[in-house]
Amino acid sequence: MRRTLSTLALLLLGLMLIGAIWQPHDPDAVNLSMRFALPSPDHWLGTDQLGRDVLSRLMIGGWRTAVVLGCVAAIGMIGGTVFGVTAAMLEGWRGALILRAGEMFIVVPTLVVALTAAALFGLNPVTAGMAMGLAGIGPYTLLAHALARRLLAEPFVQAARALGVGGSGLLLRHVVPNMTPVLFAHIGANAGLAVTAYAALAFLGLGADPSKPDWGAMLFEYRMFIFDHPLLMVWPGLAIAMVAATLNAVFDAT
Amino acid sequence: MTLPARITLRTVTSLLVISLLAFAVISAMPSDPVAIAIRAWNLPPDGATVAGLRAQWGLDRPFLERYGAWLARFVRGDWGLSFRTGEPVLAEFLQRLPLTMTMALSGLALAPLLAVPLGFLAALRPSGWIDRATRGLAVFVQAVPSIWLGLILLYVLGVQLRWIRPFTRDWSGLILPVALIALHSLAVLTRVYRRDLLEVTRQPFFRTALAKGLTRAGALWRHGHAHALYAMISAFRAEASWAVGSTAALEVLFGLPGIGQFLVESIAARDYPVLQAYVMVVAAWLLVLNAGVALCLAWLGPSRP
Repeated sequence: MRRTLSTLALLLLGLMLIGAIWQPHDPDAVNLSMRFALPSPDHWLGTDQLGRDVLSRLMIGGWRTAVVLGCVAAIGMIGGTVFGVTAAMLEGWRGALILRAGEMFIVVPTLVVALTAAALFGLNPVTAGMAMGLAGIGPYTLLAHALARRLLAEPFVQAARALGVGGSGLLLRHVVPNMTPVLFAHIGANAGLAVTAYAALAFLGLGADPSKPDWGAMLFEYRMFIFDHPLLMVWPGLAIAMVAATLNAVFDAT
Repeated sequence: MTLPARITLRTVTSLLVISLLAFAVISAMPSDPVAIAIRAWNLPPDGATVAGLRAQWGLDRPFLERYGAWLARFVRGDWGLSFRTGEPVLAEFLQRLPLTMTMALSGLALAPLLAVPLGFLAALRPSGWIDRATRGLAVFVQAVPSIWLGLILLYVLGVQLRWIRPFTRDWSGLILPVALIALHSLAVLTRVYRRDLLEVTRQPFFRTALAKGLTRAGALWRHGHAHALYAMISAFRAEASWAVGSTAALEVLFGLPGIGQFLVESIAARDYPVLQAYVMVVAAWLLVLNAGVALCLAWLGPSRP
């Protein structure tokens, strides 16, 4: 079970990353003589209403989703660690202020922050990923604070302190490396949510360039053909669900 | 300070901070609202109009003063005019908010009502068929985006069975999104409720209750329900935030004229008053829900005076 899961996860990740540099066909090449082609050896998943290769578009969309995930994870890790550790080091009102701010951010729905950011800055994987990462920073700050507090009281940290390891050395050598795995597991547990949230954003198409094949945007585009070519809307949805399910399963098992 | 007062204070402070952040980000945008308004409302693009609008909106004054003036107007119900429709934003929102709220709140209200019996039955027989089915449902809804599930439902119910007409505005347009929201929350809340019920079965007092002659169901209900309910209500906050966030996509999918759809239509016109109002409405809505949840938890909680 673990083996198959890891293999599937690696396979999906590989496909998403390959999508950045190579696709079987030009994802934007319009071929009106090949509209709505069914899956065939040449076009594995068929073609869409403009004769574009669906698999190639899915692969680019996968790369864009991977970029979102990378941004969300990086901001969650860095932001959560910085704010959480700072709050743990600064006891008193300054630490409390950071924690209150973190609590406040739990309330605001990630999707609304991302919606606002997309409305203001336009939608692309980097802005969407940064907005969702920033919106999700609250819980990670609280978690990092709790972890750092516990670690600072541990005998080995006390010992290092007694030996004269101060400030940043103490934090970087002894505290931060010990909290990263836990923090990463929590961020991973929310990665599936980030995939579906980005799909919802792209579905709304806020300021998006419609020629960019995001999975959510493809759902929006292909929903019109639900009557005659329902297979088209199956692929992007399946891609989102598979990636989200794999992420959830991988991080649930750890 | 009493607890309700503390919760009210925290809610109001949070709303103020969120409004300040949103106002700051929107004012920092490079595009000039006066230029947008002149284009959107077809005003004469001369110096008098520009100066008039700038003075009216206080764009020549310092940031905090501008924020204060905006806040005072906002509280009095003057939310400005929409750049896109030219109508007062407040009126536009009042017209659309009931639909969005009905959708999200009915879905959210339905979920706990069904989650308690389902979670109870699942905990009654761990690894029984109800337990496995609810587990499968939870895995399913957390991976499958609600927009895609909605599309598939439209296909099955609308195209195959012909029970409804896809993308038309009728009763089915509201039932399906409510069902989608309820399904997601139901699956998640059932699992939380079941997990905490089962946690109680491992406590010594649970064994004592069984030894006294209570049935498993009786002991779970008498000694586990309140504990599991507490956990479920805490988890409800995250679900509420998810539900409110996903209303916009569901409104667009099912063609419902709610505030989310209004926002999406307004974005292309850089309709900042609408954006600011949307952020405020959603934040206020969720903060009030959260305050309600906090009160519920305090009332249910063990540290009750």
